[in-house]
Amino acid sequence: MQLSMRGLVPAHLVQQLAGRPSQVWNADVTLPSGACVFVQAPSGRGKTTLIHMLYGLRGGYSGTISFGDRNMEQLPDDQLSALRARQLSVIFQDMRLFPSLTAFENIEVKRALTNSVTTEEVLTWLAQLGIADKAYAQAATLSFGEQQRLAIIRALVQPFSWLLMDEPFSHLDIANRKLAIDLIKNVAHRHNAGIFLTDLDANDYFPYTHTFLM
Amino acid sequence: MRQSSILTRLLLLHNGRTRLWTALAILSVGTFLLLVSVLTWSDFDQLLSNEQSGGTESYVVIGKQIIERNMGGASANVFSASEIAEVRHAPQVLDAGEITPALFPVYAEVGGQLPLQTELPLASVPDRFLDAVPSDWNWQPGNPNLPVILAARFLDIYNYVFAPGQGLPQLSRGSVQAIGMRMKVGSGTNVQVFSAHISGFSDRVGSVLVPQSFITYGNSRFAASSGPARVMQLILRVADPSDPQFTIWLQQHGYTTEPQGLQWSRMRAIVQSVAAATGGLAALLLVAGALIFMLFIELSISRSRSSLVLLHQLGYSRRYLVSFMVRRFVPMVAGSLFLALAATVFVQVIVSARLAAAQLHLPSLPGVVVWAAFAIVSALILVVVYRAIVRSVTKVEVIVGL
Repeated sequence: MQLSMRGLVPAHLVQQLAGRPSQVWNADVTLPSGACVFVQAPSGRGKTTLIHMLYGLRGGYSGTISFGDRNMEQLPDDQLSALRARQLSVIFQDMRLFPSLTAFENIEVKRALTNSVTTEEVLTWLAQLGIADKAYAQAATLSFGEQQRLAIIRALVQPFSWLLMDEPFSHLDIANRKLAIDLIKNVAHRHNAGIFLTDLDANDYFPYTHTFLM
Repeated sequence: MRQSSILTRLLLLHNGRTRLWTALAILSVGTFLLLVSVLTWSDFDQLLSNEQSGGTESYVVIGKQIIERNMGGASANVFSASEIAEVRHAPQVLDAGEITPALFPVYAEVGGQLPLQTELPLASVPDRFLDAVPSDWNWQPGNPNLPVILAARFLDIYNYVFAPGQGLPQLSRGSVQAIGMRMKVGSGTNVQVFSAHISGFSDRVGSVLVPQSFITYGNSRFAASSGPARVMQLILRVADPSDPQFTIWLQQHGYTTEPQGLQWSRMRAIVQSVAAATGGLAALLLVAGALIFMLFIELSISRSRSSLVLLHQLGYSRRYLVSFMVRRFVPMVAGSLFLALAATVFVQVIVSARLAAAQLHLPSLPGVVVWAAFAIVSALILVVVYRAIVRSVTKVEVIVGL
């Protein structure tokens, strides 16, 4: 599923972006299905805003975002929800877990929507990322690093064409980051999905096909 | 299993259970009272229909009210032809017949072991107003035998008041019909004697009835003054004498009737007032219950706002979330409504059993009116609850700006 961004300018960043060159804002970008995309920008340039716009969480911008032939701003609620359940997955920078649920339940809420991954597989992934012993602990009691690994697994328990990631490894050490990257690569490869990652610094987490400076 | 229980924990467990049970209880009590008021109205209507002879029809004798102003001249209390025509079109009146009085004196003697002598007030009514037309109910001039129908209450007065005081035997209807009477008609030299016998009894007319042909003959042959008989009483066949419209019509025209003929009307008015008051109270309770329940839903949803928003972000559609809420709330509401219905059916079972002991018959299940009321109330409340859920879920998303 092709992703295209045409002349995107968030209303609240108009002044900030004026006269500042960007390969993303106010540009025409077309990304083919299965592309591996990295967007690099320092703090305050709108990385999270871009991820939220791509995921359909916020409006208030000029230009258009399209997945295939679907304009994100014009999707009715049912279609937007279906897109999020089956085509578009996300790892939020702020994780967005249900603090009162256990780690396993946080994943189950997402997994049960499509049932595309078995619970055994979920338990394997929890073990793979080193948080199997936290499966039945309340999410609120987990460390940031554990929460981030949980958020990564939650993003992988659905079918997707694009995986959006907003500074997904910011709380992970090198070893845990490597484990997470391997898991993401495997699952994304299984779905022939594209990867869209934003981060502060240049990196080689994935074999990027497209790199942008914001 | 997990998904449903996880969603329940996220969306529904923040709410006070006391508030929920209170709202459901008020809803249930309100529905119960409403159904009971409809039940009262419908049961009384049915009882009334059963009580009146021949289904809903009844016979009522009316006359003009005798007051100081008109008590001197009998002519003031006579029904004119136009008044009789008007009576025929009064509310609930199906038919009207004239009670024609005898304008001549009648003196009856019973012989044998029953030495009774008395003046008799004879009258006639059209045959279609008789309780039952006796087989010998026929008289032609020249016939010395005269059939008579006696008001049933005359026999009661004889048996329970007169006979014990006079040391006379009490008589059954059959034995009275076997007794012959010598009836002297007219006065002075213009007198004729007939051999009369009682051929039937009437619960409808409170006088002594003879065939109309005899009254016509007697009034022309023995009356002191000539001219047509003056009709001062009418007998009415009435569809429903308890209809307040009929009672009001009688009062407006200054007509009187036997009080027991209208007792159902008064009772019906009282029952209708009580049922209306109960219904009003029930409607208020229902509105209050529905409002509290709507507030409960809105509060529940607003307390679960952050979970609702995140679920929506993860791919749960608005339609799915509304349907989840509906699946949780609607069975509770339906349960409280059915509880009210069950209580109403129970009331009807008890009432019909108790009334059966008093020879008043009601079906043991509520009538179609009660079921219809239940269907309407249920539909209204379920629509209100559904709309409250949709509005609350939509409002949360609007706040978040999705």
